Parts: sequence; C-alpha cells; structure tokens
Amino acid sequence: MKPTPYVGEFEYAVLLALLHLEGTEEAYAVPVRALLEQRTGRPVARGALYTALERLETKGCLRSRMGDPTAERGGKAKRYFSVTPLGVKALKAMHASLANLSRGLEAVLEQP
Amino acid sequence: MTPSPSTPVIPPDWAERLLRAAVRDADWRDAVSGDLREEFAAVASRAGYTAARRWYWRQALPLAARFAAGRLVPALTPPRRRRLAVADIERTSRLGSGWTRELRHAWRALWQRPALSAVIVGTLAVALAANAVIFNLADALYLRPFRFAEVDRLIVVASDTGAGKPYFDRESVAAADFRDWRRTLTTVSHLAALEWWDPNFSGVERPESLHGFLVTPGYFELLGVQPLFGRTFTDDDGRPHATRTVILSHALWLRRFNADPGIVGTTLRLDGTPHEVVGVMPPRFVVPYGSDVWAPIAYDDAAWADRKRDYLLTFGRLADGQTLESARAELEAVVARQAVEFPETNRNRQVTVVSFSRGLGDDAVGPFVAIWQAAAVLLLLIACANVANLLLARGTERQPEFAIRLALGASRLRLALQLLIEGVCLAVLGVAVGTGLASAAITLSRGFLPETVVRFVPGYEYLKLDLATFAAMAALGALATIVFSLVPAVQAARGGPTAPAMSQARASTAPPGRQWLRSLLAGAQVALTIALVVAAALIVGALNRAAYGATGFDRRNLITAQLTLPEAPYKDLDRRRQFTAVVLDRLRALPSVTEAGAATVLPYTNLAASRTLFVEGRPIDDTAPARTVDLQRASPDYLETLRIPVLRGRGLTAGDGAGAPPVALVSQRLADQYFPGDDPIGRRIRVGDDATWITIVGVTGDIVQDWFLGRINPTVYRPLEQDPTLRVMFAARTTGDPLQLAADVQRAVVAADPDQPIEVLASMDEVVRNKVAGINYFAQALTLMSGIALVLALTGMYSLMAYLASRRTREIGVRVALGATRRQVTWLTASRAGRIALGGAAAGVALAVALGQVMQSALFGLITPSALTIAASALTLVVVTVAAGYLPARRAAAQDPWQALRTE
Repeated sequence: MKPTPYVGEFEYAVLLALLHLEGTEEAYAVPVRALLEQRTGRPVARGALYTALERLETKGCLRSRMGDPTAERGGKAKRYFSVTPLGVKALKAMHASLANLSRGLEAVLEQP
Repeated sequence: MTPSPSTPVIPPDWAERLLRAAVRDADWRDAVSGDLREEFAAVASRAGYTAARRWYWRQALPLAARFAAGRLVPALTPPRRRRLAVADIERTSRLGSGWTRELRHAWRALWQRPALSAVIVGTLAVALAANAVIFNLADALYLRPFRFAEVDRLIVVASDTGAGKPYFDRESVAAADFRDWRRTLTTVSHLAALEWWDPNFSGVERPESLHGFLVTPGYFELLGVQPLFGRTFTDDDGRPHATRTVILSHALWLRRFNADPGIVGTTLRLDGTPHEVVGVMPPRFVVPYGSDVWAPIAYDDAAWADRKRDYLLTFGRLADGQTLESARAELEAVVARQAVEFPETNRNRQVTVVSFSRGLGDDAVGPFVAIWQAAAVLLLLIACANVANLLLARGTERQPEFAIRLALGASRLRLALQLLIEGVCLAVLGVAVGTGLASAAITLSRGFLPETVVRFVPGYEYLKLDLATFAAMAALGALATIVFSLVPAVQAARGGPTAPAMSQARASTAPPGRQWLRSLLAGAQVALTIALVVAAALIVGALNRAAYGATGFDRRNLITAQLTLPEAPYKDLDRRRQFTAVVLDRLRALPSVTEAGAATVLPYTNLAASRTLFVEGRPIDDTAPARTVDLQRASPDYLETLRIPVLRGRGLTAGDGAGAPPVALVSQRLADQYFPGDDPIGRRIRVGDDATWITIVGVTGDIVQDWFLGRINPTVYRPLEQDPTLRVMFAARTTGDPLQLAADVQRAVVAADPDQPIEVLASMDEVVRNKVAGINYFAQALTLMSGIALVLALTGMYSLMAYLASRRTREIGVRVALGATRRQVTWLTASRAGRIALGGAAAGVALAVALGQVMQSALFGLITPSALTIAASALTLVVVTVAAGYLPARRAAAQDPWQALRTE
C-alpha cells in the first residue's frame, strides 16, 4: 500500500476539475484549463497545468490514456486523464485537513 | 487575412516545430501540440488568422522554453535528494545523456561572466558577419552570377585578331564568321549574336537613352527564357526590311509604361525609327549587362558577308553530350580553316571559348573576391585566436571548479565536453547576432555602388542575405567553435583533480605551458593583422593613384555630358556638326562657363576607339608589334577646356574645318613610340581603314585614359569637324560648382535637338569616381576588415596583458616590497608584450610580403607592394600592441605593495 501522497494547492484544484469532467470526452488539458479559469476566475498558465498533470501522474494520483487522433487537432491525439483511487484518497486527505483547519471558522468563512 | 472555411487553419510551422522539438516525451508531444492546435482554430475563428498566429507564437515559446529547460523532470526530485544526486551524476552518467542539463550548466557558466561572454559573442558576430558578407559577394558576383536553367550549358565565343587587346574582348566576332559557325558547328546546338545597341527613346516627354542589344532571333530560346507575355523574335523579324520589333525588360515596362498590360502591339520611337513592342521579359531578366530592350539583328546580305568588322558578342548552347572542351576543339578547327580560306581578314584570328559566367563576368571580380575571401578568413582566424585566448584565461579562473568536479568523479572527457558545449552556445549566439549584422552590412553595401557601375556587375541583384549565405555562416560558426574551444577543452581535460585546487590559494602564475600557448595566440593575431593591414594599405594606395593620381588633365570644375546621336536622323554629317556647334555655343554663352569643348570620348569613359596607325613612307610590316592607337576626335577648344597642354606645334583651331586639309595632333607617347628622335610635325599618317593621309601639326601631353590597365595610350587627336562621330561628349569648365550647371547643359542639348537624351550628365570628378567605384568598394571593404582586425588584435593583447598582470599581482607586490622600482616592475610585464609583438611582427612581415606578391600578380599589376608600406604597417602595429600591453602593466605596477600582497 502506497502512502497517501501530498498534493499542493494547484494540484488539488486540478484534481477537482478532473473529477468534474471524469467520464466525459472533456477530461483533457484544454477543458480542464477552461474549467479552472472559469471557476477560479484566475488565469492558468498552460505550462503550469502540464507540469501539475505530469507530477500528479508520477505521484500515482492520475492515470492517462491517449485518445484517437482527430483532424481538428492536426492529427494529434488527446491525452485523457482519470483520477485514480489513490488520487481520490489524496484529495480526501487534503479536503479533510482543510476542513479540520477551518472548523470553528464558519462564522468568518461563510459570511457573504 | 481570414481563410475561407475550407482552408485548414495551420499554425506557424516553425513555432510548432520548435515546440515539438522541445517536448521529449512522444505522448506529451502529441498532447501538447494537439491542444494548442485545437485552441488555435478557436482563436483563429474569433480573432482572425494573423492574430491567431501571433497568439500561437506567444503560447508556444514559453511552453517550449519550459519543456526544454527540463523543469518537468528535475522538479520531481526533492531538493535534498537532488544535491545528493549531483555526485552521483558526475560519477555515473554517460556522455551525452541529459543534454538539457549540460546546456543548463553551460548557460549558467556563460552568465557568470556576462561581460566576457558579450565580448566573445561580439567578436564572433563581427568576424562571422564579415565572412557572410564576403561569401554572399563571392556567391552572387562570382560563383553564380546568372541563375537561369542550365546556365552551365551556355558558352561565350570570342574571336579577335589578338592585336593590341590586353584584355579579353568579348565583342569580337565578324558577321560572316558567325554565319559560317552557325551553319557548320555540331557541338553547339544554338548560337546567337548580339550587338551593342543603346537606343535613344524619343517621341515622349522625357527622352532617354536606353541600354539594350540587337540579337539574332533565337536568342531567348538559347537562354531558355520565356517572355512574361507577348512573344520572342521570329526569323521573320530578322529580315532586313521587316517591321522593326522590340522586346522590353520587366523593369523598363514598370518604369516607363506603368506596367501597361496593353503594351504589346504599340509602337515606340527608338533611335528615330518606330519599333513595335512584341513582348515583355520576366522580372530580373536583364541579360546581358542590364538590358532594357532587345531588338532583332536585321542585316542584309552585304552585312552578313562582312568578315572585317568584328563587334558581335556571341553566345552558344552546347549540344547534348558535348562539353566546353569539345566545342572549343571544334571551333578552333573551324577558325583555323577560315584563316586559310580568307587569309586577308582571318589570318590572325583566334578563338576563345569560355563558360557563360566567366565570359560575361568581369575579369577583375575573381581576384578581388579571392582576396576578400582570404581577408575574411584571416579575420575569422584572428577572432578565433582572440576568443581562444579569452577562454583559456577563463579556464584558468575556473580550475577550482574543474578540480572539484574531477574529485567528485567526473571524467575528463565530460569536462572537455562541457567546454565544447559552452563554445557551441557562444557560437550560436555569435551566429544570431552576426546574421543581423550581415544583413545590415549587405544592405549598406548595395547602396555603395553607383548606378552606372551596377549595370556591369552580373549577379548584383542576388546581393542579399539568402539561405546559402546563412548556411555558410552557420558552418563557419561551427568550424570556429571547434577551433577556439578545442584548445581550452584539451587544457581542462589535462589538469589534475587536486593539484590546481590545492595550489590555487598560492598560485601566482598559470602553468608555463599555458602561458606559452597564450603568447603564441596573441602573436598570431599580430601577424595576421599586419598581413590584413598591408593588404588594405596596398589597395588604398592603388585606389589613390587611380582616383587622385596625375591624369594629365585638370578634372576639377568640369561638367560633362555624354550622348550618342541616333544614326538614322543624323546620317548627314552636316547635321552632326550643326548639333555640336549649337550645344557648344549655348554652353559658352553661360556666364559661369569659361571654356567648352566637345570630343568623341572623354578620359575615364573607357570608350576610346582603337585604330591601326600607318606612317607615310614606312613599309607595312605585319610581324611588327601592334600599331594600335586611340583615335580621338575633338573640337578646337577641347584641349584647352581639359587643360591638356600642347607641347609642340599648334593646337586645333576653328580653321581645321570640314573643307580644310586633314590634320591631327599626336600625344607625346605616340611621338616617342613612332617617331623616336624625330620631329613628327609635318609627317603624314593614316588611321584605320580611312585612306586619307593626315598631316601632324602638333604634339600634346599624355593623359591617363584608363586607370585599370595603368596605361597611357598613344593617341591621335583629329578635328571633330573633319570627322564628326555619332558619339559626342561635351565638357565645360566652370568657375563654380559644375553640378549647378546640370540643368543649363540639359537645356543646351534640348535646344539643339529636343528628342536627344543625355546618357550621363556628371561632373568630371564623378566620372572618375564612378570609374574607380569598383576598386573603391573593394578598398573600403578591405580597410574596414583590417580595421576590425586591428581592434581585435588590440583587445586580444590588452586582455592577455591585463590578465597576466592580475595573475602576477602577488608576485609584483613581493618584488616591490623587496625594493624593485616601478619601472622594473612595469618592464616585467610590458617586455613580454614587446616580445610577443615583435615575434608577431616578424611573422606578419613575411606573410605580408607573400601576400603583396600574390596581390600583384592577381590584380594585373595594379598593386605595387612597397617595403615602406609593409614596414610602416608593421611598425605601427608593434607600437600600438606594445601600448595595449603597457597600460595594464603600468596599472599593476602602480598599486600599493601591501594591498597587492593581501590580494588573493
């Protein structure tokens, strides 16, 4: 059993975005970036996203497969990602630690 | 620019290639470039194609940089482990594995000393740019001046009688000989003849003298060139009484007819005769000699039977399977047969068959380009020596680093490789900067040659930074890298792992072997620079003699106009006389003109007519050396106007008119040559085919007609009135700036004939300057290169001495503390500079003497190497290099000894 890896803030966001898109034909870099920018309202550097994806895969949080080449991509395949059980675990751990940290601060955090 | 929906939207090719090259993992490569493409299509449909391409570059560059920097992989290694891994890497990694890491190392090493790196890159860039410019010149003007299909199958045939022609006379084939050849030759599939034809284009608001050629039909087919539109000449166009037809160059069609698509079928007045336009040639086709117009040769049978007048330029295309040699052999046989068949005209005729590029090129270009190329290579060598020296110094500085890496287990080969990679980085930067410099230099150099000269420079239109030039520069850059980084690399690989590191603290000087190598490199720079400076000085000397030397006439304050009257309207000799008289009267009437004269040719126009001289009472001896003289026709005031002195007898006067007895003046050189120890005045001569006996009435001073051959031609001056020619040149001496009279001269010509254009309207100074423009260009380029070499050699010497002085700071401190005087300490370092400079100068003088001899033989005796020039150049260089070495020595000696001793 591998130890649960630690994921950083940006990696946490990428994992969440991938969970949203999982099972659709959208689980690759372009929609992920669009979703991140749309939901967080911040620009996401292309290179940073690729770095995070690669790093998460190395940590075992993500699995990737190559799709079929399409004409609109100049005959290039998409790289689809899916979150592994280990990735879900890491996500839960991060989520739990954040939840633990924010317990008792509801008054501050949930004010409009 | 928005593509229609059907066209695929393609991102910038180079950006995509760059990106794909940067991403090493194949899956990532597809994913990343595919993602970008997908978004590119979206951006293109939203913001337009052009904006999308810019967007693509903006996205691709940082991505490529990110991947290339390999941040993806090492970022995975936690910092603590990475540090531990360094030793591991040094010990175990194979050569060439992890190129990005090597590159990063190299990059960091270069950035540690930005000033040094900048000097190196700048040195390389300048040397490489000089080489690129010269390569481009050589390629465009010498190697490939003509770029149409199968140009290597084309030949130029010349056939002169060998009499008094010191140069290759291309226009030397007689019409009847040409016709025989065309009938009989089997090694040549096409043969075309051309005749100079610079017609006056009139019947328009702005008459103009055009450049062109009369050609035999089939000329364009021989060259394999199709007209842009219209047709080429047919055999019917070449019949004697056919409608005159003409084909225009693309440039003329643009310039004078605003690219009128309906030009074919219209009629132009050329030399007073209507010519029907039948075609326009494609852009940039101006063969030969910047032609604007081509018209068919339409000789009658009598003209085609002429074997005497030889003025045709002849091109041929080799038949399939034939070579230049086989064509030459056949032509030699045919010409030998003709010599027997027609002894009267063809007895002395010889044939020359050369390739098209050689035949039409300027003979001088080859040697010029060769000398340039040699100079550029010398410059590159100097730069390499300079860079190698700087890198050696830097290598000494980095010895602790190398020692530590060796101690950690790195192989020597790895260290050497590291230095080579650094060299490659420097070279890549050097090539990049050099490309910009070269492009600017080529653009500048294009503007340097005057319009009148450009016409005679085949290949001029190819002077630009093209792919071949860039490739040559990159190749030279690679070569230079190997040359300059090999020495430091070998040095680095030789050092021991511990000794330098240990001794670093105490080291006062570099190991002796290395110092010796550095001195050698600095000395070589001095030697090569002397050779370059001498070459430049010799050329500049020749240029000054040619441009500003004694010419035998006064070229200041002269306005000149060169023109050619068209033959048809000026058949009548009286019309020619009248034209000249009207123009001269008008010129003399101008208030600032003191004298005005006319002649067939002016000095420095290279258009003098050569004729055979017959002296009365002397037998005609065909075996005697050529009796060729220049025949000049001049108005009475001409000699006075140019300040050509009359040494004996009288000058030409108004009394030597059409009806007066035929007279002539001869130049001093002619008098010495043909009447040695004898008074030529009163003797009678005959010139050329003219049967008239002419009485010599005076002797004039000599003038230099032609700087390039450095010859003073024996000249006969006949009154223009007695033999009026179609070519007339006017000269007027003015009290002020001659160019202010340009408009008045124009008006004077218009008053005589409103249809008559002026070919060249310039001051005599300009005429001379244009004549020497070629050598001037050459001299300037060489001077610039030797200047750069000088600066490089000086920086080389200075940096070497500064470096040595800084390494010896401690030693100097000890010496001063022990009682050495400043002077002694300065001498310690400066004497070394002196020894290097003297050694370099000795080698440089030897090199310069050899170079001077090569230049003398290559440049037709134009160059006279003088011991004075060589000695002066060598002395100057020794003095300045010693000065460059003295400055750091003095600075080192001036410091406080205690300070110096504490310095580490």
